[in-house]
Amino acid sequence: MAKILIIDDDPDIVESMRIILESCRHEVKTAASGEEGLKAAASGKPDLIILDVMMETMSKGFEVARALKGTKDAKDTPILLLTAIKESTGLDFENEAGDKDWLPVDAYLEKPLKPNELLVKVETLLKKK
Amino acid sequence: MESLHWLIRLRWFAVAGIFLAALFADKALRLALPYWKICGIAAALGAVNLLFLLRFRRCLATREPCVEKLTNRLANAQIPVDLVSLTALLHFSGGIENPFRYYFVFHMIIASVLLSRRASYLQATFALLLFLLMAGMEYTGRWAHYCVASQPQLCLRGDLLHLAGVCAAFASTLFISVYMASSIAAKLRQKEAGLREANLQLLEKDKIKSNYVLRVTHDIKEHLAAIQACLDPVLAGVTGPVDPRQESLIRRAYERTGKLTAFAKALLEITRMKLSRGLETADFSLKKTAENAVSYVEASAKAKNIALSWSIAPGVDLMHGSQIYIEESIANFLANAVKYTPEGGKVSMDITDEGASVLVRVRDTGMGVPAEDMPHIFEEFFRARNAKAAERNGTGLGLSIAREVAARHKGRVWVESQEGKGSTFYFSLPKSPPPERA
Repeated sequence: MAKILIIDDDPDIVESMRIILESCRHEVKTAASGEEGLKAAASGKPDLIILDVMMETMSKGFEVARALKGTKDAKDTPILLLTAIKESTGLDFENEAGDKDWLPVDAYLEKPLKPNELLVKVETLLKKK
Repeated sequence: MESLHWLIRLRWFAVAGIFLAALFADKALRLALPYWKICGIAAALGAVNLLFLLRFRRCLATREPCVEKLTNRLANAQIPVDLVSLTALLHFSGGIENPFRYYFVFHMIIASVLLSRRASYLQATFALLLFLLMAGMEYTGRWAHYCVASQPQLCLRGDLLHLAGVCAAFASTLFISVYMASSIAAKLRQKEAGLREANLQLLEKDKIKSNYVLRVTHDIKEHLAAIQACLDPVLAGVTGPVDPRQESLIRRAYERTGKLTAFAKALLEITRMKLSRGLETADFSLKKTAENAVSYVEASAKAKNIALSWSIAPGVDLMHGSQIYIEESIANFLANAVKYTPEGGKVSMDITDEGASVLVRVRDTGMGVPAEDMPHIFEEFFRARNAKAAERNGTGLGLSIAREVAARHKGRVWVESQEGKGSTFYFSLPKSPPPERA
């Protein structure tokens, strides 16, 4: 059981993830914007952050990830980045050589999410921690 | 057409120029010339120009099918009139000695721009014949010669070498100018034809693209309908009880499918409208249409405690056009106003008589449109920055449909807004739009 923070502005996606994660007895907190997410990360001290790329802007998730890694509380918290832009951009984040400064996240998942894939990724990241 | 009008306007300047030049020659240079004759020619040219103008206006007003032909004939007739007038003027003001004889070149350029190459050379030949006639008649003494030299003994009328030189230079100047001007004009015409062709191709490609969008969207909509059809019975309890968490997820899926269906429908609608050559139009009551549009948003306005009011000017009612699309456009304006106005705000609609058109004005006290987004607000798929942040779901197509509907009725849509204070959307509709299927 871990504390997980979901930062995503789509209430339906959030609800779906919440139900999947709660089924494995994780404690889920949610935030509907980048700013709200930064505050929740500071106050809630989650074990894992699930972060959506496209929110207020196309790349809000990137900015939030960089901001999180710059804080004292969240700099070691693993981040799972959700993307739905593979089809429109052709970018495969998983296989891109990760530049930790440019995009400091620990794993990626492409939307739409499969419950099992999400749970496996979450467990792996929590164990690494 | 335009160049013909241009030619008529230029001629007024020429007439004025002749009067002024005559005045100068008489008062300042004190040349002994038959000024009454010169002014008579200018007056006659002015009168003929007035006739040309009237004929041109009548041709514009009646939209005769033979406009092209008439344009050509008018141009072909105007230039010889100018050439004869110019020759007569030269004759009365020094003949071949008049330094302004090269003004014939202007007519050669105008002919090359307005007429075919062959017709331009014919005009040049005509000009040369007129010039030679004048020179010959004055040389042989059959016509009087009016000297413009400062002293009579300086007059070159009797000098055959001078006469031959002037005529040769004049002839070559005319033909070389026609050759050059018509070559340039031909190149420009060719380029214009190329651009027209490219534009046609673009329109054709756009049509192909729209057809593609239509087909794809239609396919997507079918799948969406199937998804909704599968979820419907589950939500309705037909398949047995569903626990609340299951129901929550299914309902979310169902609603999102509904939103996507609405988007697909809007996309189909605007694409179909773009592909169709004309909308089906009929007489309809604008008052009833406005009432319907208001009824769509009454509930949502009430839920947000928004004061919704509307009025229609007396006498405004019967219109001609596509009632369904106009109702949808007005409803869209109202729905946006309610959607983007905070609780307790105001939304009002006024329909007024503007003479040739009717103006629908939807005003709100909402978030307004950011200045940088104003030029794009009616573009397809465009959503203003603050609208996107406030309301996740929106197709970005509603206003572009309204713009298309207005354009199809020869009307117009526009917006005035101040961010944070509110917006006013306008829909102007001509009272009797010209028939769509021309």
